[in-house]
Amino acid sequence: MASPGRGPAGRPPALLAVTGAAVGVAFTAPLLYLAWRTATGEEDLAALYTSPATLEPLRSSLVLATATALSAAVVGTGLAWLTTRTDLPLRRLWATLAALPLVFPSFVGALALTAALAPGGLLEGPLGLVGAEPRRPEGFWGAWLVLTLFTTPYVLLPVSARLAALPASLEESARLLGRRPAAVFRTVVLPQIRGAVAAGALLVFLYALSDFGVVVILRYDTLTRAIYTNRLLDRDRSVALGLLLAVLAVAVVAAERAAARRRVVEEGTRTRAGLQVPLGRWRWPALAAVAGWVVVALGGPLASLSLWAWRGLTGRGSVLARDRDGLADLAEPALNTAGIGVVTAVVAVAVLLPLAYLSVRYRARTGVLANGLVASGFALPGVVVALAVVFWTSQLPASWGLYQSYVMLVFAYVVHLGAQSLRATQVAVAAVPRRLDESARMLGAGRARRFATVDLPLMAPGLAAGGGLVLLSTMKELPITLLTAPIGFRTLTTRIWADVEAAFLAEAALGSIVLVALSGVLTWVLVVRRADRLA
Amino acid sequence: MRTHARGFWGAAAAAVVLLPLMAGCGNDDDGDDGGAGADEGGGTLTIYSGREEDLIGPLFEDFSEETGIEVEVRYGDSADLALLIDEEGDNSPADVFISQSPGAVGFLAEQGRLAEIDESVLEQVAEGDAAEDGTWVGLSGRVRTLVYNTDLVDPATLPDSVLDLTDEQYAGQVALAPTNASFQDFVTVLRVQLGEDEAQAWLDGMAAGDPPTFDGNTAIVEAVGRGEVPMGLVNHYYAARALAEDPDLPVANHFFPEGDYGSTLLVTAGAIIEGTDDADAAAQLLDFLLSEEAQTYFSQETFEYPLASGVEPPEGVPPFDEVPKTRVDLSELGGGLAATTEMIDASGLTR
Repeated sequence: MASPGRGPAGRPPALLAVTGAAVGVAFTAPLLYLAWRTATGEEDLAALYTSPATLEPLRSSLVLATATALSAAVVGTGLAWLTTRTDLPLRRLWATLAALPLVFPSFVGALALTAALAPGGLLEGPLGLVGAEPRRPEGFWGAWLVLTLFTTPYVLLPVSARLAALPASLEESARLLGRRPAAVFRTVVLPQIRGAVAAGALLVFLYALSDFGVVVILRYDTLTRAIYTNRLLDRDRSVALGLLLAVLAVAVVAAERAAARRRVVEEGTRTRAGLQVPLGRWRWPALAAVAGWVVVALGGPLASLSLWAWRGLTGRGSVLARDRDGLADLAEPALNTAGIGVVTAVVAVAVLLPLAYLSVRYRARTGVLANGLVASGFALPGVVVALAVVFWTSQLPASWGLYQSYVMLVFAYVVHLGAQSLRATQVAVAAVPRRLDESARMLGAGRARRFATVDLPLMAPGLAAGGGLVLLSTMKELPITLLTAPIGFRTLTTRIWADVEAAFLAEAALGSIVLVALSGVLTWVLVVRRADRLA
Repeated sequence: MRTHARGFWGAAAAAVVLLPLMAGCGNDDDGDDGGAGADEGGGTLTIYSGREEDLIGPLFEDFSEETGIEVEVRYGDSADLALLIDEEGDNSPADVFISQSPGAVGFLAEQGRLAEIDESVLEQVAEGDAAEDGTWVGLSGRVRTLVYNTDLVDPATLPDSVLDLTDEQYAGQVALAPTNASFQDFVTVLRVQLGEDEAQAWLDGMAAGDPPTFDGNTAIVEAVGRGEVPMGLVNHYYAARALAEDPDLPVANHFFPEGDYGSTLLVTAGAIIEGTDDADAAAQLLDFLLSEEAQTYFSQETFEYPLASGVEPPEGVPPFDEVPKTRVDLSELGGGLAATTEMIDASGLTR
């Protein structure tokens, strides 16, 4: 099979093939679990899959996921370009802040955002200034709005990474030829970042499919909601619907990948410091747009959270007065959160790199299938992934001590969230020019040395972006942590959840603010700054 | 390319064999991670708790101190933990399950995952506050109530029966949480006591006013507090907890009179997992949770109603004797939840 512009793909080294295959197999855990449970259940599949009670939520899921993916792609790409390639004031600060809405666990993020936007909420004043009526977001539009606000970072981070690795020369020439920034963006930049945008949008699509926090809170009847509400009442049906969702995800992703294989692969790396496009008279409107976005997506939830925290700290029954350790109590969960997040991000990137090489560098046909399998873990609700991992780990001898160990926890995280780093990793691998690798080989560099000295530095921004997504998602993950972590392992998210459930909003708010701050620091140090420095 | 594909699948087959081995080795390297599976032997009681750590954690610590029995607790959503216990099957590390509602214990009882609790424990609570077959026992109670905004609503205009909320004047005024377990339990009570037709008529009547719906009680009390909705159907202690955090919040409970379904008493439940090797310690724990000390704690710290030991009711909510409460046989709440959610779905409230 000849591929455009690169000659026939070579045969992958055996070790790479074995590793890649092992990873692919590991990601079948949820799918096989659902298939097994469905096969041994009593649900009449033919009736279920053709019933309006299934097809209607299925259609809602697809419509919501598609709409969210499109809007997040547009906004995320715009934010990425403005914060990486222009003279937008404070652009790196905005780059960090704009990535943070991803870290709100949807159960608390949606609660806080709706509280801010609702009548009597904190944004009533600001909304009134622009003549807008406060309204509690709900239904399709509410779910679409909230999901777009929270998932745009899925596009922002990989596209920023791709932009950081682009050669400035083309843009520069176009600009010297007198093209306006918008025209430069459309004709020169966009074609080169299309892969990264598609990768991010696909993640948004899958996330929107899997999410039930937002759709339950905002009353939008999707397939995930049916899976969730039936999980105890009618488990056979819940499992069969989960299988439908997983198969759907595999099909969509495989189709996208098959299409992507026909696209010309982007190459090119940055040769010197990045070009900054002067925005001219658009500088301040652009700033207003970026700031406005951050105010709603990050400021909205934070405003409600701050109000709750303030209320709790100053009230008579304050957190401090109630004989609790208050903030100090959050130290251990915060450390756990950051630690498990970083470990999971590194493991996810390391584990998925072989798959990325196989599908990008060697264009292995099975890469398409592997992509679908990896994606299926992300399209399923965390509870389903957790139960699948519990099911499979229970089949192993207890003497191995794997059950509810850190190994099992990280494995479950990676199966659920790995898809996020796979796409960014593939974009990163694709950005390494073959000819550099070939030159190094001719100079006698071994495979390991070529990887460490040629590939890795070039891929670093992309890998950091992919790892960053996994990091943020792990930090906010709830059901997998609750069900598969070693007993007594607490994260900020599990604490926030417990506080919300117990109606201690002040404490939930404090925990959420710490979570956002911690994510901000980690995003800055590990993703934004690194992407700038290493590019 | 074909040969490549075959090579790949050969590698996949090798990987299936190698992967578990690799995982096994990996674990040996960091073997001292606290050992979640270290349940056998050592007299450690493993609790899966659907009740939050903030509310019940201190009691587990007290129990441990008093009895010398070590406990480890996994906290989570009651329904998820029930699914987890069932998925773990005979290998479940759990000895005791504490549930927010009878629904999740009912599910486990149906799956045959619960052991029968000793009569000496069961008899401490009133009949109807424990399962008929002895698979679970009620630990604390919450009363259904109507929370309202004191700035927006004159309590004199509130009805004497929850069934009257379908009246024209309340249309769209009452927030509901149709996917919440407590609301579902309440509807089950209506279904069992009034019959399906009347219960469905009430749901349809509520749905006709297109009421604001939320995913849980916390969100309803929050929305009522900021005046977005005038009132909402919740459990009684949410307003008490919100007021503990902010005494100025304009919320209050309207209790329906005794005998009205609007003040149905719902319980949290404890159960012992079938096949536990710590059956005695498990029974000891349930016994402790019904003791005067623990029941007082529920009353004073979580604003819930004690079910045993003749303990005083919580401060800030009306005395247990005075508060109208409707006792129903909660053992019926375990099964049949599916029928309830079908009715709620049919009313359109969840859409």
